[in-house]
Amino acid sequence: MKLPSTMQVFERGWLSSNNILFQGRDGTALVDTGYHTHAAQTVALVAHALQGRPLDRLINTHLHSDHCGGNAALQAVHACRTMIPAAEAQAVRRWDQDALSFEATGQQCMQFGFDDTMQAGDRLTLGELDWQVLGAPGHDPHSLILYCAEARLLISADALWENGFGVIFPELDGASGFAETRATLEVIATLDIGTVVPGHGAPFTDVRGALTRAFSRADFLAADPVRNAQNAVKVLLKFLLLERQSMALVAVPELLTQIRLFRDINRRFLQLPEAELARWAIAQLCRVGAATVKGELLVNAD
Amino acid sequence: MHDGFDPLTHPGPMPSPCISLCVMDPDSDLCQGCLRTMDEIIGWSSATEIGKRAIWIAIAERQRTA
Repeated sequence: MKLPSTMQVFERGWLSSNNILFQGRDGTALVDTGYHTHAAQTVALVAHALQGRPLDRLINTHLHSDHCGGNAALQAVHACRTMIPAAEAQAVRRWDQDALSFEATGQQCMQFGFDDTMQAGDRLTLGELDWQVLGAPGHDPHSLILYCAEARLLISADALWENGFGVIFPELDGASGFAETRATLEVIATLDIGTVVPGHGAPFTDVRGALTRAFSRADFLAADPVRNAQNAVKVLLKFLLLERQSMALVAVPELLTQIRLFRDINRRFLQLPEAELARWAIAQLCRVGAATVKGELLVNAD
Repeated sequence: MHDGFDPLTHPGPMPSPCISLCVMDPDSDLCQGCLRTMDEIIGWSSATEIGKRAIWIAIAERQRTA
């Protein structure tokens, strides 16, 4: 994958988002920082790549725990200026864990501060390249994506992956998300893009193909919101399993009761007894090879 | 980790070795999850398919000798 010489993509897994490091005459910057359990490695990778240069700026496309979980650790090591979506400023200032989705999803994030905000329409210089900040609601109402016209690059966060996009969270809370997802894809479809650097997975060049798949998936989910709800249960449980690597099978129904978003999804869309929902979710993860049952344990698999 | 994956015969494109256990081992300087060096993790997304296969072969070798 040919990227500008001022730009490096650290392709991480699914628990941590990709990290994009810029090094130019205009300074250094990192876009998105991964999950907090991987923060030590994120700090080490950044230091290794910077070879003694300081990290000047830290930028988050959105504030899900897998995109900003390394912020606190990086801030502890570097005197970097941190820039977040303007719409999240108040929640971060107050460290409102519910507004920031950590509480509701059962995910963890170390508290961090910020210095600057960005919003759709802003322009950033990263790695000696000019980037436009675009709004990308759908997966997250406040998510931003970054487009560089001269290098025909899109940093798409979780708005567009090679195969689909992130869970459409607003719909789970009864807010609108399907229409926004489609509108964001339509905006992306107007751009001249050679390479997409997604929030998860490898950078890819078949942008038309990815958009076709994403539109098709958006239509599929919007046609029956239960599909988005079922997908969310699977993805959120897989995330917890990736974090813990294994969990007692008997603990799964309890988890589905304790974590608010599971409760809300179940009440709003699925209306299943917790034990039945747990059995269904476990079977789904096992069916696609994302987990296996070993004795009394549900064990992560890839 | 990486059981059943044969880097010599996998048709490609080569998948990322990351298994989301991202912790560096201070003794080996390898990631405990994927057994890659920091250079290999950082360079993965810009590596060629041949380069990626070479990294996978190195991982298999480290797995054997670990």
